Amino acid sequence: MSDAAGAVRAPTDWSGEAMQTRIRRRYAAERRFKLLGLSAVVLSAGFLALLLVIMMGNGIRGFTATELKLDVDFPASGLMVSEASLRGPNPQAALASVDFDSVIGRAAQAQYGPQGATLFSGAARLALRDALLDDPALLSRRATLWLPASSALDQAAKGQGNEQIRALHDQLAAQDALRTGINWTFLTGSDATDPTVVGIWGAFKGSLLTMLVTLALAFPIGVLSAVYLEEYAPRNRWTDMIEVSINNLAAVPSIIFGLLGLAIFLNFMHLPRSAPIVGGLTLALMTMPVIVISARNAIKAVPPSIRDAALGVGASRIQVVFHHVLPLALPGILTGTIIGMARALGETAPLLMIGMRAFVATPPGGFTDPASVLPVQIFLWSDEVERGFVEKTSAAIIVLLVFLLAMNAIAIYLRNKFERRW
Amino acid sequence: MAVSAIALLIVGLGIVAWLAGRARASAFAAPGKPRPHSLPGQHGWYVALWTVVPALLFIAVWSNVSGGLVYSDVIASPEAQRLPAFGMQRQAILGEAYRLATGASTTAFNPQARALAPVYERAISFYWWIGLAVAALAAFAGGAFAFSRVSPKFRARTRVERSVMALLLLASLIAIITTLGIIVSLLFESIRFFGMVSPVEFLFGLNWSPQIAIRADQAGSSGAFGAVPLFWGTIFIGAIIAMIVAIPLGLMSAIYLTQYAAPSVRSWMKPILEILAGVPTVVYGYFAALTVAPAIRDFATMVGIPSSTESALAAGLVMGIMIIPFVSSMADDSIAAVPQAMRDGSLAMGATKSETIKKVLVPAALPGVVGGVLLAVSRAIGETMIVVMAAGLAANLTANPFESVTTVTTQIVQLLTGDQEFDSPKTLAAFALGLVLFLVTLALNIIALRVVKKYREAYE
Repeated sequence: MSDAAGAVRAPTDWSGEAMQTRIRRRYAAERRFKLLGLSAVVLSAGFLALLLVIMMGNGIRGFTATELKLDVDFPASGLMVSEASLRGPNPQAALASVDFDSVIGRAAQAQYGPQGATLFSGAARLALRDALLDDPALLSRRATLWLPASSALDQAAKGQGNEQIRALHDQLAAQDALRTGINWTFLTGSDATDPTVVGIWGAFKGSLLTMLVTLALAFPIGVLSAVYLEEYAPRNRWTDMIEVSINNLAAVPSIIFGLLGLAIFLNFMHLPRSAPIVGGLTLALMTMPVIVISARNAIKAVPPSIRDAALGVGASRIQVVFHHVLPLALPGILTGTIIGMARALGETAPLLMIGMRAFVATPPGGFTDPASVLPVQIFLWSDEVERGFVEKTSAAIIVLLVFLLAMNAIAIYLRNKFERRW
Repeated sequence: MAVSAIALLIVGLGIVAWLAGRARASAFAAPGKPRPHSLPGQHGWYVALWTVVPALLFIAVWSNVSGGLVYSDVIASPEAQRLPAFGMQRQAILGEAYRLATGASTTAFNPQARALAPVYERAISFYWWIGLAVAALAAFAGGAFAFSRVSPKFRARTRVERSVMALLLLASLIAIITTLGIIVSLLFESIRFFGMVSPVEFLFGLNWSPQIAIRADQAGSSGAFGAVPLFWGTIFIGAIIAMIVAIPLGLMSAIYLTQYAAPSVRSWMKPILEILAGVPTVVYGYFAALTVAPAIRDFATMVGIPSSTESALAAGLVMGIMIIPFVSSMADDSIAAVPQAMRDGSLAMGATKSETIKKVLVPAALPGVVGGVLLAVSRAIGETMIVVMAAGLAANLTANPFESVTTVTTQIVQLLTGDQEFDSPKTLAAFALGLVLFLVTLALNIIALRVVKKYREAYE
């Protein structure tokens, strides 16, 4: 019996010193772990915030431009153009061969000294031309115009650049010769070598055309193959092969699609380089698997009772799908499509492969013209050494992010508004 | 007068055919008569399909053939007999004449081109009219045939549905064709590359300098294509540095958000993390090059380590940030898949929440997490823009994160930029690198999916 007596354990002494220490230690470990988790979340969100703040801080300056005052005495300026021709039917033609640069140069030298001409940007010429188009009466008098300042002066106005130019800026600012306005050129222009005249419209239009091609191809093909795989495909080797290829394509690095586009569309089919049609084709191949996968999930979510009911009242299998299943699955399909398109809009690497990194100074007129797209434009500007391109790059990034956020917001809205839980 | 004009015309004819077919079918679908097999609309579709499809098929073939016919016609013309027989100049004149004829340019450098332009124009319009005539004939013949078959007993619905099925099958075959296209184009160019450079040198060589000398007698004129430094750089940035950042942050975020966070916090933080995944990679690349890389260089200089501006650390760090939401959502899924009973059992035994997580949840979810990490690695090594913008071009074989390394994707972009000649090993090397990248990511994905699948079977 002595064994049994020895086996009786004393109950754990929870209030004892040793146990209390242990519990304290375990709770401390618990708190540490929780804090660790919290800090991981905060750190991740912090990176996002940092990225956005830096892009905002740099980019917001890209939307403004500094303008410098210039007194132009038009009658004495030697402009070879008459007021009558400007009021005529074709004023652009009348101004086409006018040498605005020398007019600006002379006026600037008269006003700001021998270095005066360098204070104005290349866009000053265009601004002067537009001013004359707006008001031909200027030609007969002396006028004070606000013209875009050079990139160096613009940067000085934004607190960048060396001592010398900033001193000059302070001096000009003291004379009230400077003002800051919204940089409309940035929204309407195209790529250029001078950061004060660059704009995103050309790249934006390229993106738009490319996305149109992508959508027109990827959406129907994606939805139709999702319908086939989910509703009709027999269980056999072919179907398995299709499924495996789609799942693999969704995970293939985007640059591989660029290589495919280069080898097939450019070298084999001889489509034009740098064109939105080739970019759209390449991105469509990349986006299609995303659309197929989301469309399959949306179709799968439609309850079988709906199909059974439609079959029961005599609909054919095609009618069941096209009249009943697809309309019900559409919100889910659209959500997936928008998310896929957002990804395609931000994609850069495959487009570099098919030559969309070329310098394109005019917006594309059609699907086969050389074009750039927004993310590639960002990449090209980020490579520029000139200081003024930093803010332009960040500003273009802001525009791109705004579009992506808007697309994602639409997708989330669609999902919340129309998606039905069965 | 392009092919698209003919295509538009055919589509217009198709609409007419649809209306005609439907009208004819509507006539016998009137109440009081016996019920026809198919709806009027289905008859309409049947007629429209017969009108449009053969004609469009013809156009597709014709647009490929007619260029050659026009060319041979022009060559056979008396004006072309005066052309120089010699390659380059002949082609230049023909090209110029073609551009003149199609209106793509209005000035010609060569007078012979100007003489040839009307010939070209005649030939183009001649074959265009032939194409139009045959296409219209095909459309009318097909439409008439189908129209004549429209009757109450005719099973138009079955026919139309059969073609819809064919269309669906065709759409889903595109995925296979794309995969085949990737494999064939990569393999084809890679085989040409391995004809010039031995695969052993490519896979195991330690020296990468693909520049081909301009003069043949220059030193190292053949270039060196040992890709090991590239593979190492890719693994170093994508699989080591990026994962050191992404795994702890992603895993801990997932644990905190699923186990500790209040529902309201979770509903806010999850989309915020997803935004990280939605930021385009070019933005990350710019962030890395503009902000992170200089900061790391300054830091390294401060503590006295020599550092390159384009350090592996900058690219890896930013890539890790990009991967966080990916790891976190995979971990989230696999933790959520652990049966509630296991968690409850552990908590009932008196374990604290963190002990439950560390000793029960994470080990049980481990296969899923590992699968997710493998997918994340495959995503990271295929990532291009961050490394193109923030990692260097120097093919160093180093484990120092402050030095510059280069990656497979960076080199692909580098090799294919600028003038491309498709017979130089420099250009073809990009395809060989692409093939390696494709195979490795494919293998990683297959392994990852296996791991995840196996694990799911264990609990369901």
